[in-house]
Amino acid sequence: MSTSSQSAALKFEILARCSTTKARASILTLPHGPVPLPIFQPVATQASLKGLTPVQLAQTGCNLCLNNTYHLGLKPGQETLEVIGGAHVLQGWKGNILTDSGGFQMVSLLELAKITEEGVCFSSPHDGTPMLLTPEHSISLQNTIGSDIIMQLDDVIVTTSPDAVRMKEAMQRSIRWLDRCIAAHKRPEKQNLFCIIQGGLDLEMRKICCEEMARRDTPGIAIGGLSGGEDKVSYCQVVDTCTDLLPQNKPRYVMGVGYPEDLVVSVALGADMFDCVWPTRTARFGNAITATGNLNLRHASFANDFTPIDADCSCECCRSEEKGGLGITRAYIYHVASKETAGAHLLTMHNVHYLLSLMGKVRAAIIEDRYPEFLRSYFRKAYGDMQKIPTWATTALRKVGVDLRA
Amino acid sequence: MAAVHDHGPARLSSSICSFELQSPSPEANKPRIGHLSFQDRVPIETPHYVAVSSRGAVPHLSQDMMRGNTRINAMYAAIEDFIEKATHQSQTPPVFNFPAAPHESPLRKFIALQKSALLILGPRRIPPLPCPASSTHSAISIVTALGYGMLEYTDYIEAVQKLRPDIVLGMGDVLFGHKPGFKRRDMMGDRTLAWMKGLVEGMTDEENGTPRTALFAPILPIEAEQQSYYLDALKDELSDHISGLVLYDIASIDAISPTLHHLPRLSLAPISTPHDLLNAISLGHDIFAIPFITSASDAGIALSFSFPSPTQDPNTPTALPLGIDMWSPTHATSLSPLSPNCTCYTCTHHHRAYIQHLLNAKEMLGWVLLQLHNHHIIDEFFAGVRTSIKQNSFQETRTAFHKLYTAELPEKTGQGPRVRGYQFKSEKSEPRRNPPAYRALDHGKEKLDDAKEKLAEAEKLSLSVDAGDLEERGSGEGLGEKVD
Ligand SMILES: [Zn+2]
Ligand SMILES: [Zn+2]
Repeated sequence: MSTSSQSAALKFEILARCSTTKARASILTLPHGPVPLPIFQPVATQASLKGLTPVQLAQTGCNLCLNNTYHLGLKPGQETLEVIGGAHVLQGWKGNILTDSGGFQMVSLLELAKITEEGVCFSSPHDGTPMLLTPEHSISLQNTIGSDIIMQLDDVIVTTSPDAVRMKEAMQRSIRWLDRCIAAHKRPEKQNLFCIIQGGLDLEMRKICCEEMARRDTPGIAIGGLSGGEDKVSYCQVVDTCTDLLPQNKPRYVMGVGYPEDLVVSVALGADMFDCVWPTRTARFGNAITATGNLNLRHASFANDFTPIDADCSCECCRSEEKGGLGITRAYIYHVASKETAGAHLLTMHNVHYLLSLMGKVRAAIIEDRYPEFLRSYFRKAYGDMQKIPTWATTALRKVGVDLRA
Repeated sequence: MAAVHDHGPARLSSSICSFELQSPSPEANKPRIGHLSFQDRVPIETPHYVAVSSRGAVPHLSQDMMRGNTRINAMYAAIEDFIEKATHQSQTPPVFNFPAAPHESPLRKFIALQKSALLILGPRRIPPLPCPASSTHSAISIVTALGYGMLEYTDYIEAVQKLRPDIVLGMGDVLFGHKPGFKRRDMMGDRTLAWMKGLVEGMTDEENGTPRTALFAPILPIEAEQQSYYLDALKDELSDHISGLVLYDIASIDAISPTLHHLPRLSLAPISTPHDLLNAISLGHDIFAIPFITSASDAGIALSFSFPSPTQDPNTPTALPLGIDMWSPTHATSLSPLSPNCTCYTCTHHHRAYIQHLLNAKEMLGWVLLQLHNHHIIDEFFAGVRTSIKQNSFQETRTAFHKLYTAELPEKTGQGPRVRGYQFKSEKSEPRRNPPAYRALDHGKEKLDDAKEKLAEAEKLSLSVDAGDLEERGSGEGLGEKVD
């Protein structure tokens, strides 16, 4: 079985596999440098990660972040991006960028979007004139943005939709649109087009889609349509099914996932890449992600808590002044949360660093082949009492050979 | 006016703080060069400025940004930013409880201010929001995050004892927003004197005193004769206890007794342009708190002046602008820095097109980058001012500056960042600070998600959270728009 793959603008190499679960540790080399997998990718929607500079973002350990095609297409717009020379130049970011197709945002943001075989029809947010986002247009925009990984336009409907006929149509259309995206892609030597597996919660449909799309041999593969309100058991089944069928030697990206326990379980199920706006959005509401759970630091009980946000965290905020950090306390975040944007910046730094560092620990555990123990100690710390661990997690992990309650 | 110290440096010194005046003379009404040093802090060459903080942070700048990407080495903090729990909920302000050794400042540790920076504490924010209530014989009115309140001078003394900043500004009976009546003016000096005496007593208290804190005394923004009794006390019985003066009016320089000319002068006078600064410098003000730095950043304006000013091109006789409106779409594809040759973080890492995009997309980073650049411009401005005073060329350089640049900063054209209640100046005729955005579809989903999260949070917190957040409630904005 091949453990590596190479295309014009990407190299993927598996360094280690967990001997119990399906977890892999690998290295993904993209045009803007190597990315250790498994990885969490923070979302810089409009070419900016919520108040952080690219240097601050790099300091959290990030070398691959997301931009949203739909937003960049509106502001600053394709023409401007063309003149400037793409999103890396726009934001002064030396690391890698992944962009979505814009389709998902379109469907979820614009109530009146309608999908036809041609593309996604919507009315312009500027003046209401009818517009059409086709696979060709999406790829053209992403070519202009110049992102290192670009995503195909897919026909997304909510996984919980009871309409099996529509679901099948969406899955099959996504395959046809993939072909159109591949044909339209002008810069395969610089940018990597990933396909997106569709098929809702129907495992048979997912299988067909996996086979069809794997045959197109894109440099990477995304599992799409999830994190849209389905239950976690179904989510795990879909990921588990897809990773069984997908080629081993390609990176696998599960879109829209970012809760810590979702990440560690999905890695055990064989996924490599994740993204989510939750860690950065929740920071703006004063929520800190910690090893013992999420804390809302706007709660008055933190007003006199002079401990770091997370005592074990090594981010700039949490490190003491003696250790070269800022020595920020929970009480100070309480003092500024939702009053000064600096408070949001500090928590954003912490949350992103926390998730990247979590993925770093996940990776080290896989390489040292102690991922099952890692999972047990992770859940023990997060929930205290092993009986409180959610059933979906214990079930999913038992299926890949890890008994959390052992 | 005769100089008290004929020639040579005048010196104030105590074990913790010293101010050394150099050229050309310590007279009033002349620009002067000084060196303010504090034990364990980076010394400050004057004329210079102190950064103004809001709730312990320079607006938009997280502590790592301030440490790593600015040259700020002095910061002003207002007690009204820290005591809402005391004023409104009768609880000890959390900052008082911050664990610190006797030689450390709990306030410095609480706000994570680096050890090398000078920490100055005063009663009110800069600029202060006007309060409807007037002072009493024992208190001034203040605005905290929870609304209007009164600050008793005894509580201020306790705060100073607890927080132990490097410099504390004496509490003065100063009115903001309108001129005091004649009767009121008579009381101002008496009250300020009583409060100052109390503060000196508190700071020299055997047990709770603050041997590492220097006291700056206010000069009230009224005629010297109306506060003569207080001014006399400053130069006599209080003179041993004060290390500097705070001025609320540019003209107050005339009220300073010649025997106090050796003291550093911190200016909180209204200053809205670099021309105002130059005027105050020319009269002998030493250190400034400059609200227009942050207000320019908020307005999307990149300051663009330098001192000495560049040589005027005879072919372009029009005045140069003091700042550039970065909202203007003309910058949308410009890969130039904000100012040519500027060495600030923003100009060395980014270009105008990005700043324009960030403002246009209402991304918080836009204001961060402008704030870094604008502070850098002011740093350079003061460095130029000091050089010109040393070289005896200040007046002519100032004249050239005045001729080259426009009188005012450019008008604000775009929207500023979201403002909170405690920052909001409620003026009669002023329209809503941030009019409701059009229901932009491009943000719809994110805002909806934000709003959902906010609602969920609100439910979780409803029993326990204090209503600390004075966002413009009921201003017609959608919930979600406040969050991004
Ligand atoms: Zn941290
Ligand atoms: Zn600059």
